[in-house]
Amino acid sequence: MNWPGFSAIANAWWLLLLVPLLVFYFLKLKRPRIEIPSIVLWQSVVNDQRVNSPFQKFRRHILLWLQIAVLILLVLAAMQPFVRGTAEPAAYLPVLIDCSASMAATDPVTGKSRIDIAKERVTTIIDNLSSEQQISLIAVHSSADRLTEFTGNRRILHGVLASLEVRDVPSRLEDAFRLTQAQAKTVPVESAVFISDGNIPRKIRFALPFSVNYQQLPTGGPNVGITAFNARLSSSQDWDIFLRVEASADSSGHVVLQQDGQPIGEQPFVLGKGESQRLAFQISSQGSTKLEARLISGVAEFDSLAADNVARLDLPPARPLRVYASPDLNSFRRALESTPGVDLFPKPGQPEQRSVPYDLVVSDREDDEELIAAVCLLVGVTPDDVKSLVEPTAALSKFLDWDRTTPLLRHTQLRDVEIADAVQTVAGVDVGSFEDAGYSVLASGTDGPLILRRRSASRLTFHTLFHTGRSTLEYRVAFPVLVANLVQLARQEASVGNVTAVQTGVLPAIELSPGGAYAIHGPNGSTQQVVADKAGQLRGATANLAGQYRISGGSEESLIVSANLLSSTETTLASVDSIEFDEQTIASSDEILASDQPLWSTLTFLAFGFLLVEWWFFQKPRRLNTAGTTLASTR
Amino acid sequence: MRENPPTPELPGNPVLSRNTRWLHYMPDVVTKPQLTPLLSNETLARVERMRLRPNRRLTNRTRGEHSVGTGGASIDFADYRDYVAGDDIRYVDWNIFARLQRPYLKLYSHEEELHVAVLLDSSLSMQSEEKFERARQLAAAFSTMALRGTERVSLFAGGDSSGNPAILQNCSGRPATHKVFEFLKACEIHGSATVDDLIASAIRIHRGRGVAIILSDFLTAGDISRSFNLLHSAGLEIFAVQILGPSEVEPDLTGDVRLVDCETGGSLDVTSARDLLDLYHEHRVAQQAYLASQCRRRNGRFESISSAETIEAVLFEKLLRRGWIR
Repeated sequence: MNWPGFSAIANAWWLLLLVPLLVFYFLKLKRPRIEIPSIVLWQSVVNDQRVNSPFQKFRRHILLWLQIAVLILLVLAAMQPFVRGTAEPAAYLPVLIDCSASMAATDPVTGKSRIDIAKERVTTIIDNLSSEQQISLIAVHSSADRLTEFTGNRRILHGVLASLEVRDVPSRLEDAFRLTQAQAKTVPVESAVFISDGNIPRKIRFALPFSVNYQQLPTGGPNVGITAFNARLSSSQDWDIFLRVEASADSSGHVVLQQDGQPIGEQPFVLGKGESQRLAFQISSQGSTKLEARLISGVAEFDSLAADNVARLDLPPARPLRVYASPDLNSFRRALESTPGVDLFPKPGQPEQRSVPYDLVVSDREDDEELIAAVCLLVGVTPDDVKSLVEPTAALSKFLDWDRTTPLLRHTQLRDVEIADAVQTVAGVDVGSFEDAGYSVLASGTDGPLILRRRSASRLTFHTLFHTGRSTLEYRVAFPVLVANLVQLARQEASVGNVTAVQTGVLPAIELSPGGAYAIHGPNGSTQQVVADKAGQLRGATANLAGQYRISGGSEESLIVSANLLSSTETTLASVDSIEFDEQTIASSDEILASDQPLWSTLTFLAFGFLLVEWWFFQKPRRLNTAGTTLASTR
Repeated sequence: MRENPPTPELPGNPVLSRNTRWLHYMPDVVTKPQLTPLLSNETLARVERMRLRPNRRLTNRTRGEHSVGTGGASIDFADYRDYVAGDDIRYVDWNIFARLQRPYLKLYSHEEELHVAVLLDSSLSMQSEEKFERARQLAAAFSTMALRGTERVSLFAGGDSSGNPAILQNCSGRPATHKVFEFLKACEIHGSATVDDLIASAIRIHRGRGVAIILSDFLTAGDISRSFNLLHSAGLEIFAVQILGPSEVEPDLTGDVRLVDCETGGSLDVTSARDLLDLYHEHRVAQQAYLASQCRRRNGRFESISSAETIEAVLFEKLLRRGWIR
């Protein structure tokens, strides 16, 4: 049997009030006076009764018993009893609440969203807090927000919980658990509660220093949404528009595409569970234009998420890609000349324009790094901050490994490429040394890194630590593929000819006045103040809600940036029933966390009930049918 | 149409005169005015034909109606015995002597007078529920029986603890009946004397053997046996009648009450009175059994009646059936 515990057992001393209660009761007891001829018989009766039952006097003292019951119940309530739950009592309990986009999915029957259910569970935990327990609420989304410090103040916790809202971003748990780990350094945290719908990454690179109670919420209703929306310039003014629609259950409907507010196309879709469908449109636009795709579910079909039904895309004016290729790199120039939509510089017979911004720079000269470009490939140029890490080698080198997923090296085969005049790493230098210098190693050779990548605030720079002209790369199939990848990458980075809808989370870099202060007004009316960097780039502005963000301030007109696209995992509502941490796997628990159930409110209500009964008993007319006797007085 | 005759002036009780105008249509009743408010004429007439029936013959030497054995001077023959020297030869049966040649003495039954002492408890405890009224009626009835039986009657009405009860002594003969009625009529409830006090006071004054009729509720503390011993040693057979009110026989109390003794003013807190009713009845029955045993031990009688019972029911049913009277 699970005996109840007491949080404030010291309050049991209040039970000593029973003594004055009894004393005052019998001192104050007023009885109806009844005159009788003689009390001789009654005297003997009472004497006999006292002899036979010493406690007989206490029998049927309804008022006294009620008062004792009220006092005992109040004292018990003050002792704060609780029924022990299945959960281990933890003095400090972090509660991590998933606030990602999928938590807004509603149930077709109850209409409750999963965040509502999560709030109900957390409310139960808060209500059942003992006086010695404190919890900290942490919102988990693409990052983590500590909503409260460890506190036992229910008012604060309820207030924060009520203001908790869903963010239209995917879940990333690492930040949340690191935050919890940081909290565990200040207070002893033995376990944490994580409440989520399961729409989270299965693997998390984090070593748990505490136990996690993973509370998985029930599945929401079916959902269908737009998970990709991009455009590619097919000719000088024609754009191919691509959409991807995904569904978590069988669904159908259609997508309406609007250009500058005018519907220009509509395509139906029919999807099975977990399937996706690609929809394509073609539009013609010379200048900048705004596209909006709106998904409309079929009649009588339930769609649990509304945030992924609209996607917006801002198309820039159509123009060719401006590419600067060093005149010494003939192979690159020939490959680029044959690529459609590329305007190659310097043109033959014309002087170099070094101050003109380019979309792509390909050069083997160190000073060309100063050219303004979104993407820059420096062939055979070793960056200054890497020169101390490598040294020239006369031996032939080969590619050993390369990142096949990176956009630059996608679909390339570099295995048989032989390289002369490559570099080798200095003794004691490893990959981490390059990363510390701000470079990512995309490809490694037999003696050291061969291709490096560096992303700065305004550009993406690739360095090949060998000259392609002194390798067999230019004679391999990988070379035109590499050039095509480079052009494609430049189109993306420069938003030329290939535009992708912005996902929620972080707004893309925006060109503004250097050092200018701006206000970003979110779709929910919130405002965040930001300052553009020295290069005039506005970066890192959060966009946790799907919708349009208006940027105002400075001397420019208000700029509207759309961030509507949700993560594919959020739209499909895929859920995992276990989380794989570095050293352990946490399985989800469908059971609601049974924490200690406080009883003080129940006891207080009982005491109130007894008080009402006592009042009724006190107020009811006293009826004494004693023929021939005198009722001298009544209470 | 026949006119109603004028209402005769009825002596005695004016209430009876006002409320019984119809009686003049009944000549038998009208011609017999109410002799006492204590008993109706019919009851009184019936009582007059009754006699007390004591267990023992505790009589006085004065002549009376009670035959106490041989050797008396009445005309009723009782027995023979051998003549011894010194006997009065007037009582020798000469016919027997002539036939048997031996002297035998004729014995006649000796009828002596019975002294009836009526002790009426008039303390405040008798006030409620017509207990005192019933006691006075019984006193009147017993006195009438005794006086009609040529007994000597003394009445003691005590209530004051000073030891001086109201007394009406040595009444005898039918004319004393009216005196007895007037005495009882004048008796009032007062004081807080116990029945023990009353008996002690009466014993100090009373002379003569016979019957002591005690009319009381016997709701007193202390041991009654000492008083009964006094009566017994004084040659009085005890006729004890306990008169209780209905609320004393069947009390209807509930809850927590404070009982106040109307006689002494003392109070007693009783908790959950209804639960104690069974115990009360046990104690009441036990007290009655004790009183009965005390009386029986001294050849006396005891009876407990309720004041709710009519005097006729008490006299002609209960006491008659129990052999108190004949």
